[in-house]
Amino acid sequence: MFATTNQDTAIQLLETVGLAELPVSEKLQALVSADARYLKDLKINVTNALGAATLSKKEAYLIGLSVAVNEKHEALQASFGRLATAEGATEKEIAEVLSCTSLMNANNIYYRFRHFVNKEFYTTTSAGIRMSIMANPVLGKEFFELLSLMISALNGCEMCVTSHEEAVVKHGTEPQRVLEAVRLGAVLKSLIVLL
Amino acid sequence: MKNVILSVGSEFPEFKKTAVVSIEKGKEFYELSSEELKNSGKWMVMFWWPKDFTFVCPTEIAEFNKHAQDFADRDAVLIGASTDSEFVHAAWRRDHEDLRGLQFPMLADTSKSLAEELGILESNEKVAYRATYIVDPQGIVRWVSLYDLSVGRSVKEVLRVLDALQTDELCPCNWQKGEATLTA
Repeated sequence: MFATTNQDTAIQLLETVGLAELPVSEKLQALVSADARYLKDLKINVTNALGAATLSKKEAYLIGLSVAVNEKHEALQASFGRLATAEGATEKEIAEVLSCTSLMNANNIYYRFRHFVNKEFYTTTSAGIRMSIMANPVLGKEFFELLSLMISALNGCEMCVTSHEEAVVKHGTEPQRVLEAVRLGAVLKSLIVLL
Repeated sequence: MKNVILSVGSEFPEFKKTAVVSIEKGKEFYELSSEELKNSGKWMVMFWWPKDFTFVCPTEIAEFNKHAQDFADRDAVLIGASTDSEFVHAAWRRDHEDLRGLQFPMLADTSKSLAEELGILESNEKVAYRATYIVDPQGIVRWVSLYDLSVGRSVKEVLRVLDALQTDELCPCNWQKGEATLTA
């Protein structure tokens, strides 16, 4: 009497990120058909990462929104936008998440180039990229830094990761919160590759 | 009287008891045994409450039920238990709105033999404390919590512990220097 099936797991997985109306993707369907153990792991990972104790629901959904934008997944972007709004995120805050994600896409490439090559001219010449949104973010500096760090980890720029990590720690952020923000980014990416 | 509760590292006692699994006529009862559990290769989460038809219990039981799928996802069989008989269980399930849709079996430890072996009987009334057990597929107790009669439990905490017990960090990224090679 203890047998369980995998068929609903995929649907529940999509529900946790607000994509209940989306048809189960071919890749997820392949896991369902093969009764793959990983599908349950993925669902647990996503649920746990979104429910991390150090992140409010609104923050978790805003991080999700940022990952969806970064990975260019439009359906997920719409659903995380809806979920964040339902938790009280304002239009300005949503717009700032989009802006931050976009800016980090420039910075992650540009600064990665600078630290890869590490020649004096490249690293000492002024960057020449406008970053005025960093000055007074509506999300608050701490969360803005946390978001920047998470995207930088996704996009793999060492210099951005180390500097935003330092900045966020200077704001008094607990290491556990840093870890859980990055874990959420990483786990959502693992979901998106199967959507 | 001194309570000695069966604790971490011990083998969970063998049992075979009637459980209520449905409110549909003719399908209410099922003989639940530790042997069947062992053969299923799954984990077991067994939670106890003192008395059917009391107030704290349905809230707590409904909360466990809300997370029934989360336990299933973790390959864990969820079982609720008290020292009430199967007929009392069935009546309570039919009677209480929050309990009609329960997805897990309610074990009837009518003889109190299992609660006694576990060491979770309150001495005055001989009812079970709010004990929660996590038992691994080998039948070994891996976690136990024991709350006094009036204290409700956090189901999320049970899930968190289950996750922690099950998470095999097999990735080489987690290897620490000097640690023996992981075997899966």
